Amino acid sequence: MSSILEVQDIHTFIGQFHILEGVTVSVPQGGITVLLGRNGAGKTTTLRSIMGLRPPSSGSILFDGKPIHGKTTYAIAQLGIGYVPEHRAIFRELTVRENLQLAERKRGDLARKTEFIFDLFPDLQRLIDLPGGNLSGGQQQMLAMARALVPDNRLLLIDEPSEGLAPVIIDQLIVAIQRLAGTVSVLLVEQNFRVARKLAQDYVIIEEGHSPMRGTMHDLVSDPALIQRYLGVA
Amino acid sequence: MAIPQASFISRLLRDKWFIFLLIALVAFPFVVGLLTDSSPFGVARGDRMIMRGESVRWQAVLIEVYILAILAMSYNLLFGFTGVISFGHALFFGTAGYVLGLMLEYTPLDTTLAFGLGAVAAIAVCALLGLVIGLVTLRLKGVYFTIFTLAVAEMFFIFLGRWQLTRAEDGFAITDLPMWIDPSQNRISVYYIALAAAFLTFFFIRRLVNSPTGAVLKAIRENEDRAQSMGYNTINYKLLSIVVAGMLAGVAGLLQVVLNKKVGPEILGIAYTVDPLLMTIIGGIGTFIGPVIGASGLHLLDVFLRDATVRIGGLVIDIASIWALLLGVIFILVVIVFPLGIIGTWQRWRMKRPKRE
Repeated sequence: MSSILEVQDIHTFIGQFHILEGVTVSVPQGGITVLLGRNGAGKTTTLRSIMGLRPPSSGSILFDGKPIHGKTTYAIAQLGIGYVPEHRAIFRELTVRENLQLAERKRGDLARKTEFIFDLFPDLQRLIDLPGGNLSGGQQQMLAMARALVPDNRLLLIDEPSEGLAPVIIDQLIVAIQRLAGTVSVLLVEQNFRVARKLAQDYVIIEEGHSPMRGTMHDLVSDPALIQRYLGVA
Repeated sequence: MAIPQASFISRLLRDKWFIFLLIALVAFPFVVGLLTDSSPFGVARGDRMIMRGESVRWQAVLIEVYILAILAMSYNLLFGFTGVISFGHALFFGTAGYVLGLMLEYTPLDTTLAFGLGAVAAIAVCALLGLVIGLVTLRLKGVYFTIFTLAVAEMFFIFLGRWQLTRAEDGFAITDLPMWIDPSQNRISVYYIALAAAFLTFFFIRRLVNSPTGAVLKAIRENEDRAQSMGYNTINYKLLSIVVAGMLAGVAGLLQVVLNKKVGPEILGIAYTVDPLLMTIIGGIGTFIGPVIGASGLHLLDVFLRDATVRIGGLVIDIASIWALLLGVIFILVVIVFPLGIIGTWQRWRMKRPKRE
């Protein structure tokens, strides 16, 4: 199976700190890959490096076989990569409608996707004219996801979608992400192992700026010792 | 999802306050004229007019309010809606004034032609300045951009205050203006032009900010990285904002020079950066009417209090001598009582109120 995203041995600095010391990640076409690892391991920085928000100093990032490292953030986004940052990064002062309209990359994107989006996240329909900041945490997360679905993105980078959400909301998100599978590829960061296990086919462990382990979720689940060693959960 | 788009006229009529205010301001010179028994056109002396009487005096006051309102609204587009803090807004205001003044005084053209060309050239120069400053500096983040704009504005201030062509710190008087826009002959027409300019600026900014482009500006204000991650080249949008704001500040500068019939380095001074900043903060950052409220409030207070004296016991205090102090106290009070500005705090309060019930 060909990869839509190939991150090869990237090194990223934040100021003088060497945060990523050689991270390699790949996302198969149409698949979901999850980055696992403890807090501060470099998972979010990996996503930000892919988006060009923290450009890597060396290594390569190929999207659809073409290098994207060194491009500006907006140019990377325009290639069809949607970024759903952690902490439900919506525009709090804009209404739900404005948030969705902003996400259009060509005219008519929103009109074409509206039905699909409201089907995935029915709550958004009745909240359409409220400022994003007035939404609950779960609703904000759904808006952040919905926003990444408005344009025809081929890859979504989703950072900690379940963080701080009630279990019932998490289940709703899992269903939504599962329904996307096949049409878009996803690179997910998820601390909640239960969620990661349900969604991803492949995993990459990120630890202290390295990516020491990778494989299929199936193999990981059947190896409790490995889970214990890298994640401290079983 | 149907997105209803009311027509421009129907939206205009929905703003009832707008209609009232416009009628009141259009009638203002005549109402003051009636109340004080003075002519809104001034007094005829032979074939020239002399600007004497309460009506024309108050027209001048309101023209200044309109000028400051335009300046504050343009500053708010940049500061309030795009989140770009410039300390160089006076640059646009003053440069426009100088361009017009130079055109009128130093070209042998017919006055009306020189005025028209001067006005167009002034706005074009403002756009160009905005573009150049933006291209050079918008990559700088936050405070670095702010410091740079301050430096450029001060550079112009010092340069034009020394340059012999512009008569250095004395500046020069504009002797010849077309009849229809000469405030010492036909002030009421300047009044209506300034009024129209202020209303047009208001509606233009509202339309821009409520457009899809405006949504991107507000998104940049909130988080530029996020706007970039959604595929927007944010530099271009910030450039647009600074160019438009610069051109509108230029319009205000043109009116100021017309009203005073004088060009001098003071129109490039830091006051024309700090005043709109304070007016915007006091009225409400990122609200449409806030800067207008701030500009009219501060300027009218200034006018009313400047010549007043206060007697406390045997002590007579001349307000003019402590005006700066008073302004400071007002500013501190407003910031404490209205942390989001007068309009911003009021809107927040109105938004929260239904929840309490």
